[in-house]
Amino acid sequence: MRPRVSPILAILGLMWVVVVAGLAVLKPTAIALSTVTAVLQFSTILALVALGQALVIVCGGAGIDISVGGMVSLAVVLAMLLMKAGLPGVLLPVSCLAIGLALGLVNGFLVTRLRLLPLIATLGTFYVYSGAAVALTGGAAQSGVPGFLLPWGRGAVRGLPLPFLTLALPVFVAAGVVLHATSWGRWIYGMGFNERSARLVGIPVDRVRLTAYGASGALAGCAALVSLAWLGGGRPNIGQNLELTSLTAAMLGGIGIFGGKGGVFGVLAAVLLLVTLQTGLLQLNVNTVWQVGIVGTILLIVLLIDNLALIRRTS
Amino acid sequence: MRAFLQRFGEREALLALGCVVSGLVFSILSPYFATPDNLLTIARNSTELLLIGLGMTLLLGIGGIDVSVGSVLGLAAIGIGRLLEAGAPPALAALAGPVAGLALGVVTAFVVIFGRIPAIVATLGLLGVYRAGIFLALGGSWLSGLPTGLTNLLAARVFGLPVSVLVIALAYGAIFIAVRLTPFGAHLLAIGNSEARARLAGIGVRRVQVAAFVISGGLCGLAASFYVATYRNVEMTIGATLALEAVAAVVLGGTAVTGGRISLLGTAFGVILLRLLQNGLLLVGAPSLWQPVLTGLLLLLVLGAEALSRRLPLERLRQSAVGAAWRTGAR
Repeated sequence: MRPRVSPILAILGLMWVVVVAGLAVLKPTAIALSTVTAVLQFSTILALVALGQALVIVCGGAGIDISVGGMVSLAVVLAMLLMKAGLPGVLLPVSCLAIGLALGLVNGFLVTRLRLLPLIATLGTFYVYSGAAVALTGGAAQSGVPGFLLPWGRGAVRGLPLPFLTLALPVFVAAGVVLHATSWGRWIYGMGFNERSARLVGIPVDRVRLTAYGASGALAGCAALVSLAWLGGGRPNIGQNLELTSLTAAMLGGIGIFGGKGGVFGVLAAVLLLVTLQTGLLQLNVNTVWQVGIVGTILLIVLLIDNLALIRRTS
Repeated sequence: MRAFLQRFGEREALLALGCVVSGLVFSILSPYFATPDNLLTIARNSTELLLIGLGMTLLLGIGGIDVSVGSVLGLAAIGIGRLLEAGAPPALAALAGPVAGLALGVVTAFVVIFGRIPAIVATLGLLGVYRAGIFLALGGSWLSGLPTGLTNLLAARVFGLPVSVLVIALAYGAIFIAVRLTPFGAHLLAIGNSEARARLAGIGVRRVQVAAFVISGGLCGLAASFYVATYRNVEMTIGATLALEAVAAVVLGGTAVTGGRISLLGTAFGVILLRLLQNGLLLVGAPSLWQPVLTGLLLLLVLGAEALSRRLPLERLRQSAVGAAWRTGAR
């Protein structure tokens, strides 16, 4: 079980170099510190959400969280509505996190207590969360984010955006440490690898899984906070498509869909690659819909290459 | 009655009851609900989902899934639209839908089965690719105001029944026969239960899997023909919610997402209940924005109730004094 560089990460690194080199040739002006800032700024939200997605998947038991985007949207909307209802603005970060955590725990409850299949349970909550976010606001953006958040959300130190530096990066480091150096983290890999054995050796599988869904929710809450502080307002559709992109990032990052496999830094690398690619394409004036297609193609190609390597090894 | 119910299946009976009860409630609340026009609208709105749900039932049955069905419908619809624009005969355009769907089904099957990528991940990737394909094929604008030839063709009546009803009945009938009376059904469920064991038993696992994906693609294409006939336009976001709605309706119908148990009748009832509730709530004045919330809650409530009933000692409750009182009261 020694961590090693997965072939997927190597492919990702290669792709990243190709993208950056391509951009340097096609549009040299885009290679600037401001581009790095933009890439990291866009990466922060996806990175936080993809980390939650990865945790849930690594836990195994067909774990998946379709509702991540819905949780981000609903956390944004509820936090803003709570503030308008009289909650002091200072508490906005706390309420974002708490709402996200609560929504995630609902998923965990459905999966671990009612034993609904994660795909179906989170599909249901995806509808409820994202639908409620739009319905509660009538689709209108919610303005009025307290001023003290904006300098944090939009600031940068040496080109590194503050949310990335002070939230995403520490969270990833913490997750890496927890997964590799604590019993809780080892339990996650154990139960993801073989749930039956995990139960037999006494790992509290259900409790760990509940925590993972809660963590995914809390991370979605963090992403909601970042979006509020960055954009200065709450968009009820901010989480749109995050379920697809976060799943893509997790898969590209080397997380095995059947659980028990993959690390968080692969996910971070995948997020950076995806966002670099998107930003690069944006610089070249490629429409965003195209980007979805390119992301999908990359996902399929990387998985096909990975599988081919596996087939060759086993035969 | 009990024997009938057991044969019929509890879930199907529950959904049918749900349709009847909610239908009654809505007709009391709104004078517009129980009109022939509105019931026709509900049937009309159910057409695409009935066909796509049928394919999704087979896919879930083998333990697969396809989240790209809405985009397959979209791509097929664009093909039909372009043909109509070019002045092709409506019959040809109507056939082009299923043909395009079958072709895309082959692509999906190839990627999932020969690429050995889990269906949910592979079809997610394909969803992105197909969406970009839709964008490319539409060139950033909508297809609108398409010729009425296809509409007239599919609005025709055969033996007094609309073509759509006949096609749906034929599709469900054909799949029912294939599942019940040929080895296909047994193989399908065996694969859903355990792919490894099905392989050991000598079942041509890949052939059945490919068949399920191709059939599902063809049904999506068929749905596209009806879509274009009804709306006579194709927009960028076509079919965006269909995949999730199809999974929701099929699971509501009692098909196990983990494979090995399917119910065609349940799927049909699940789709109709979903569309009926969406229509009814709109008529009684609930804002349409709440529709997705309703879909999600319905899914969670039905499955949650089922899960709870498995966990609670219901038999003991029935035999207890409280249970007896409740039973008498209920009668």
